[in-house]
Amino acid sequence: MATSEELLTARIVCRAVLPVIKVMLEDDPKTAAAFQDTVGKVQFVADDPAGRVGACLCFDKGAFTVLQEIIPDADVTFAFSSVPKMNAFFAGKPVVPALGPLMKGVFGNFGLVVNTVKLMLGLKLLMPTASPKDPVKARLKVKMTLYMISTALSQLNKAGDAEMNKWTAKQPDRIYQWSVDGTDIACYLRIKAGKTKAGRGVYTRRKPFIHMRFAGVEGAIPVLNNEVDSLQAMARGLVVSEGSPEYGAKVGDFMLRIAGLLT
Amino acid sequence: MPLSQQELGELKRLAAKIRRDIVDVTGWSGGAHVGGSLSMVDMLVLLYWKYLRVDPARPDWEDRDRFVLSKGHGGVGHAVVLANKGYFPMEDLKTFNETGSKLGMHLDGAKAQGVDASTGSMGHGLCQALGMALGARVLKKDTRVFCIIGDGESNEGSIWEAAMAAAHYKTPNLVAFLDRNHYMIDGYTEDVMSLEPLADKWRAFGWETRAVDGHDVAALAEAIEFAIAWDKGPVMLLCDTVKGKGVDFMEAKAAWHYGGLSAEMVAKAKQSIGEG
Amino acid sequence: MAGVESSTSWTVYDATKLSAREIYGVVLSDLGAARPDIVGLSADLAKSTQIGAFGERFPDRFFNFGIAEQNMFGAAAGLAKMGLTPFVSTFSAFASMRACEFLRTDVCYQNLNVKVIATHGGTSFGSAGTTHHAIEDLSIVRAFANLTVIVPADGFETAQAVKKCLDLAGPIYIRIGRGFEPTVYDREDETFQIGKAVEMRPGTDITIIACGPTVFHAVEASKVLAENDGLSVRVLNMHTIKPIDEEAVMRAVAETRRILTVEDHNVIGGLGTAVADVIAASGKGCAFTKVGIPDTFTPHGYPEDLMNLFGTDTDGIVAKVRELLGREFEEDEDWEDEV
Repeated sequence: MATSEELLTARIVCRAVLPVIKVMLEDDPKTAAAFQDTVGKVQFVADDPAGRVGACLCFDKGAFTVLQEIIPDADVTFAFSSVPKMNAFFAGKPVVPALGPLMKGVFGNFGLVVNTVKLMLGLKLLMPTASPKDPVKARLKVKMTLYMISTALSQLNKAGDAEMNKWTAKQPDRIYQWSVDGTDIACYLRIKAGKTKAGRGVYTRRKPFIHMRFAGVEGAIPVLNNEVDSLQAMARGLVVSEGSPEYGAKVGDFMLRIAGLLT
Repeated sequence: MPLSQQELGELKRLAAKIRRDIVDVTGWSGGAHVGGSLSMVDMLVLLYWKYLRVDPARPDWEDRDRFVLSKGHGGVGHAVVLANKGYFPMEDLKTFNETGSKLGMHLDGAKAQGVDASTGSMGHGLCQALGMALGARVLKKDTRVFCIIGDGESNEGSIWEAAMAAAHYKTPNLVAFLDRNHYMIDGYTEDVMSLEPLADKWRAFGWETRAVDGHDVAALAEAIEFAIAWDKGPVMLLCDTVKGKGVDFMEAKAAWHYGGLSAEMVAKAKQSIGEG
Repeated sequence: MAGVESSTSWTVYDATKLSAREIYGVVLSDLGAARPDIVGLSADLAKSTQIGAFGERFPDRFFNFGIAEQNMFGAAAGLAKMGLTPFVSTFSAFASMRACEFLRTDVCYQNLNVKVIATHGGTSFGSAGTTHHAIEDLSIVRAFANLTVIVPADGFETAQAVKKCLDLAGPIYIRIGRGFEPTVYDREDETFQIGKAVEMRPGTDITIIACGPTVFHAVEASKVLAENDGLSVRVLNMHTIKPIDEEAVMRAVAETRRILTVEDHNVIGGLGTAVADVIAASGKGCAFTKVGIPDTFTPHGYPEDLMNLFGTDTDGIVAKVRELLGREFEEDEDWEDEV
């Protein structure tokens, strides 16, 4: 039976990682082209004695949504025999044939399968080992990672994580903003009295309580990959954190926690 | 350089005159800090008539030496000295303590000419004197700063803060006198709040410390000259004095820390002081 | 560049741009080059108060007095008497209380040209707790004759205050935070004038008069109230609380008829009281309320949280204004994560 930590990771995979596929579809011309006529549903599901866990990617000629449920009529299903195995797949761990996903309906949806695998490969941009030189991919990585992190933090809270709940419980209405200088990449996390919401772009209704600004895509990647610690990152001008240093540090800690869950 | 007999005689007579004037002011002002003023007259006389490079006609002369009376309640003594030196007319002394006058218990530098720091509350003057000494250093001037503190005043922590800092900054242009007259308002200092061993304390704080008879003008002169010449850091001249010195019925009595004098007592006091 | 608050692992500074807290240290250092009469004094807090930047550049004109604030202020008076211009820096709690008598009797009574940079005012030294919070300092120093009291809104305004206090002879007390407060301005406002309040936002329904870190929050509150409640909220940055800009206060009374003051300070004796004095003396009717520490000691906590606790932050000000104007409001209650 999956542990609570494993279930938490799975939740983050389904609700924070899978959704950033949207970024690839919207911002990467090749991916957009590959999916422009695609219609279909791809289910990811993991077996667990306490109940199956998974989400379904829905493609509709360029439009993309993630259904946080297990549907009976998916066109393609990637099935895992356990939650930790699904988590490992998304952590980029090598797939051993016996443990690999069972693909049903392969012959009828070969194109969809191939494209989905490409998306999975694309998700590898999120890994701390990925340092793409191609500017398009680098930008994708930063945007996907920040979007993923902001949602993951919110999901961490919504999942009832004790440490996160404790941290959000007493906070008044506050915005934690991320942005990348020289780009339009921005996202935020709103926290208020125990509630959280991840948002895209710059929050305009109030000034951010913490604003983490990366010095361009090139500055963001080493920080997001944890190649440098926070002190070094700031000393080298890769990122600036405006606002309370104590709360900024705490956000950083939670970001590391998310990274830890996903690798 | 030891004082000549003539100079010594003149200074002693001047000191006696200052003491008599202090008694007069105490009489007509209704009351003054007479005991603690009489005890420091000899130091003041030597400073103002021999060692301070000052000019009463130019009280704001930038390069003058500075004098800070940290035991500011000795204002009556300081005022008498300043008047005799010519900073303001002797007549002004008649207004001492009057509402609206330039002279009162604690001298106000904004009103009385020649007062480098307006003191009164204990423990402030030495800090300001230190600031002046450091200022002279910044301005690269050879200005000397002299400061008289009281023994009761030495209970104040800020005195020791200033002492510590002066030693730290090795201010050779700062010379302090401690008017060790042994009595404060509530009595003998060692009964109220013991200070001894006082010389040891100043030495421990890093000051070159000399004990000297505060009423032996010749010895005082020698001590001041030593202090001026000492260039390694601040100097403390621990002057053993008598509260109320010169007036037999006041000497060594806590009660005469502050008091009034009737015309009869003024006459007796002046007789006791003599001509010096 | 120095500026590390050693107790945290995150130092908020940008390699290419100075953080707000460092600005005044650099400004003072630059002024020191132009003005040989400036001397710097610290009580073992050179790094924390940023005056260390000056000290590093001009070691002969910088004096550390160790943890001895009384002597430091007395010595500042002595230095000023020699014609120098001392900048004395320590935490607000110690400047106003530990050295109180020396500030009052040596500096103010003798009307000397001493400039006090009192840092960590209000609850800004949050974690250090009650002993290091200065929630009475403005009340105390406001009562000293001859003293000008300035509470700049942010690092940029602090730089202006430091520059301009050289043009105003006499003792000046400049009270700032710990340096991590959000900035209200995005650069120095050269029109800054000691004694003249700045209208940050125009308005007609009510005026918020703020000083120091609460100016940012008042501005934000004004925006929220405009967008959500359709309210027109004037915001006055009353950086100089002594002498207070009476004319700006009276104009607010006449044109908005409601005044709310907000300060990171006790409600007794600070900005609120100063404004109340003006209104009461004028005899004009005006709804008036003070927001601040309600005559209680403040616990330890992160300063942003403490401001929230005492209602001196954006949320607190918004709530107070709504309460005063009897308004209902619609919260943004969509808590679904965006994709």
